[in-house]
Amino acid sequence: MEAVFQAMLGGLVLGLIYIAIAVGLTIIFGTLRLVNFAHGAFYAIGAYVGLVIAQHIGLVWAFVAAPIAVTVFAVLLDRLVLRSFYDKEPTSQLLVTFGIALVVEETLRLIFGSTTQQYVMPLALQGSATIGPIEYPAYRLFFAGGVIVMLVLVWLFIERTNYGLIVRAGVRDRIMVQLLGGNIRRASTVVFALGGAIAGLVGAAATPIYGIDPGTGFAFLVPSFVVVVVGGLGSFWGAVLGGLLIGELQSLTNLAYAPASNVVIYLCMALVLLLRPQGLLGESEVIKQ
Amino acid sequence: MSVDAASSTPPARARGTLLWSDARFALLTALGIALFPFLLHPLGGYSTLATQIAIVSIASIGFNLLLGYAGILSYGHAMFYGGGGYIAAILILRTMPTHPNLWLAVLVATLATTILAMLVGALTVRLYGIYFALLTLAFAQMIYFIVEQAKEWTNGDDGLQDLPNATLPLGTANVDLTTHLPSLNLGPFGNLADLQLWYIFAGVVLLVVLVLFRTLTRSQFGEVLGAIRENEQRSVLIGFSASAYRLAAFAISGALTGLSGAMRALFDGSVAVDAVGIDRSGSFVIYTIVGGVQTIFGPVAGTALIMWLENVLSAKTPLWRLIEGLIFVGMIVFFKRGVIGTILKQEQKPRALFARSLRLSPEEPDPLLKPVAEGHRSGPLSIIETFKLGKLFGKFAAVRDVDFKVDPGELRAVIGPNGAGKTTFFNLLSGTTAPTSGTINYKGRDVSGISGTSRVHLGIAKAFQTASIYSDQTVLQNCRLAALARVQGPFALQVFRRSLRLADVDAVAERALDRLELTGVADVRAGDLSHGDKKRLDIAIALATQPQILLLDEPVAGMSKDEARKTEGLIRRLSTEMTVLVIEHDMEMVMGISDSITVLHQGTVLATGTPAEIRDNPRVQEAYLGGHSEAELAH
Repeated sequence: MEAVFQAMLGGLVLGLIYIAIAVGLTIIFGTLRLVNFAHGAFYAIGAYVGLVIAQHIGLVWAFVAAPIAVTVFAVLLDRLVLRSFYDKEPTSQLLVTFGIALVVEETLRLIFGSTTQQYVMPLALQGSATIGPIEYPAYRLFFAGGVIVMLVLVWLFIERTNYGLIVRAGVRDRIMVQLLGGNIRRASTVVFALGGAIAGLVGAAATPIYGIDPGTGFAFLVPSFVVVVVGGLGSFWGAVLGGLLIGELQSLTNLAYAPASNVVIYLCMALVLLLRPQGLLGESEVIKQ
Repeated sequence: MSVDAASSTPPARARGTLLWSDARFALLTALGIALFPFLLHPLGGYSTLATQIAIVSIASIGFNLLLGYAGILSYGHAMFYGGGGYIAAILILRTMPTHPNLWLAVLVATLATTILAMLVGALTVRLYGIYFALLTLAFAQMIYFIVEQAKEWTNGDDGLQDLPNATLPLGTANVDLTTHLPSLNLGPFGNLADLQLWYIFAGVVLLVVLVLFRTLTRSQFGEVLGAIRENEQRSVLIGFSASAYRLAAFAISGALTGLSGAMRALFDGSVAVDAVGIDRSGSFVIYTIVGGVQTIFGPVAGTALIMWLENVLSAKTPLWRLIEGLIFVGMIVFFKRGVIGTILKQEQKPRALFARSLRLSPEEPDPLLKPVAEGHRSGPLSIIETFKLGKLFGKFAAVRDVDFKVDPGELRAVIGPNGAGKTTFFNLLSGTTAPTSGTINYKGRDVSGISGTSRVHLGIAKAFQTASIYSDQTVLQNCRLAALARVQGPFALQVFRRSLRLADVDAVAERALDRLELTGVADVRAGDLSHGDKKRLDIAIALATQPQILLLDEPVAGMSKDEARKTEGLIRRLSTEMTVLVIEHDMEMVMGISDSITVLHQGTVLATGTPAEIRDNPRVQEAYLGGHSEAELAH
């Protein structure tokens, strides 16, 4: 029973990482109609910036520097490269973000090498906390709490701000938003940077748990795609639901029969596609565009 | 629009010439493949590399069928490549360790990957575009983890090593492909003996694949695939099943990739888990983009270039993967056509593939008036009828409880203020949108559940509010596609035959153009037409599907007064031959040509009657004047 509880907490932590990446993917998709293959690169850049800062300055600053660095990178990327791809067909956009992911990954490999690195978590969070019957690493609880707070903030951004309005409307009908005079260009940059910053922060925060190597970002990105597909592309709550589902499924399967833990999430995705192709909370119009 | 049609008509090509062009292509390609390893030699390549390039090229060609010709991006082709490799390897290790039969292993692996492609495709091809890339990536990851975990069969991360040397049964002999060719010193180009028979085998397979692939891209199948890529909405509503064509392309693509993977595993004598990995999937993307999509040789050139560079550079510098990434991004940003595409860079003219063979004589029976065999109408039944038809978007009822009935041969106008649900109503009739309630009866048969594509084949065709045409094709070709769809049905795997031999198709297409007075611009690129001509072409496309009901969504919108009157006349003439439903805001036209009018208001039927009745109906007046379109009734 304790093992199950442990696994569920583990699934929650894993699921929250997926959610954080998937929410970024989803809001970027809603506003830019772009599936961002470079999103894993945001995670990795955040993690490595966090690593350097944590080693030389301090852990707290790592959590500040990582999202800022990724924001800068995302804005530059948007302005210098992606901008000229907005009007092109989706395939070229996919291709260019894939290319960027490739370049970033290899650049990181060049600078930091291929080995997995980690940094030490702060002393205060090194122990474990007791919840009910089990002991659980305090840092992971801190991490889970932090990500949840961040998600609430993102949700408020989407629901309460004008940019959020553009995001929500853009999921339904991007052209209409443009026709109505929504400044979708600026909103695109803001949303792209925000999505990147979330991934970057989570990358920095998750590194004490999972470590980082140049391929980690992409390794987290693929299950996050699954989360987005399961939850419904363009849906915030879909990303949340999908992330929890996939995280728990993976973690619990790992407990029950470890070799299947990576396969089961794709089977889950196939099942959802068969029964509800637009995703659990997705709208059927989105997938037909 | 005063383009001289005659000057742009291509010279008719005789059949013999086509065969000669095929033979010349095959000969030159064979020559290139034969010379390749010797040209690679002074560039630091080995015969092993040449063989690997030849093998992997086959997968890239398969990948390009999807990206270049079907217009969809797969990020999961490693599942077929590695899948083919593992299946061939396991087959040899488990079932024929002493007498490994190369044919058998490769054939079974290819078949198995074809089936895998059909399974994955069945789940994914409907959700195209961005979704497709995600899903193929995810499914490939699933296969990756299965391969990694099924250690008993695949040996996990270590992969399967030291496969027995498979031999190729030819007649009674078992050819050992590792045999070297006789020694012959070629100076700087190496020695003939560097090559194994493997290269000849791989080269022959590549040659066959290239020749067949070229045939496919020029076949009717390739033609339709291109049409779907260019304008899916139109293709579906002239009667092509986009999903079926994509699924077929995906299956062929998977087969070629599986073939390549199986050959590679047998050539290397090993297969490792990275053959099913993400990087492998990405490599096909890179090869194809760098070489040039939508070209026959692009993927081959890209594969050769990148694999050669990798071979030369990876030993010398850790920067290799970064360089590869930069080359890739650079190609996308600056040379979208890829190496081959840039070299061949001539403006792609709309291929007037088809010599305009037929000149219709007036005595000939009009192909458009051919009675469609199925569903004879008996008695004075309505041709189309809806009962309580409704469509909800979320909570918003765009169409509500619409009872609607049209008699055969009638010209019915559907009018109403903006937002009345007219276009949604047409989408329900044409099958673009599924109703949330109610039924649609067409000639006494409930068609509410069947797809738009199938309805075209029953005789319901639509012209769009915004002209939906194939901009890069000639005007005639636009109509040919529609006529072809009607003759061929929703799907036909015609990968060898060109469609230009179908005289029926030409006759129908030309007649449709004639009806809309577009014969003069038949050979013009459709995208270059004026607005009015585009709208009329859209109608001609619908007409070329030989419909019994023609749905016209605002046929004269945006036209000048003269053009509108001309189009009005054309529609009036069409209505003597078929049932016509027309949405229109131009009241002069509506009142002038309609037999009867249905007024929609807020998704429901407000009134139906003759033009005079509608004009005098107080509720209609109120709906219009109370709304915001008072100008529309002013005429």
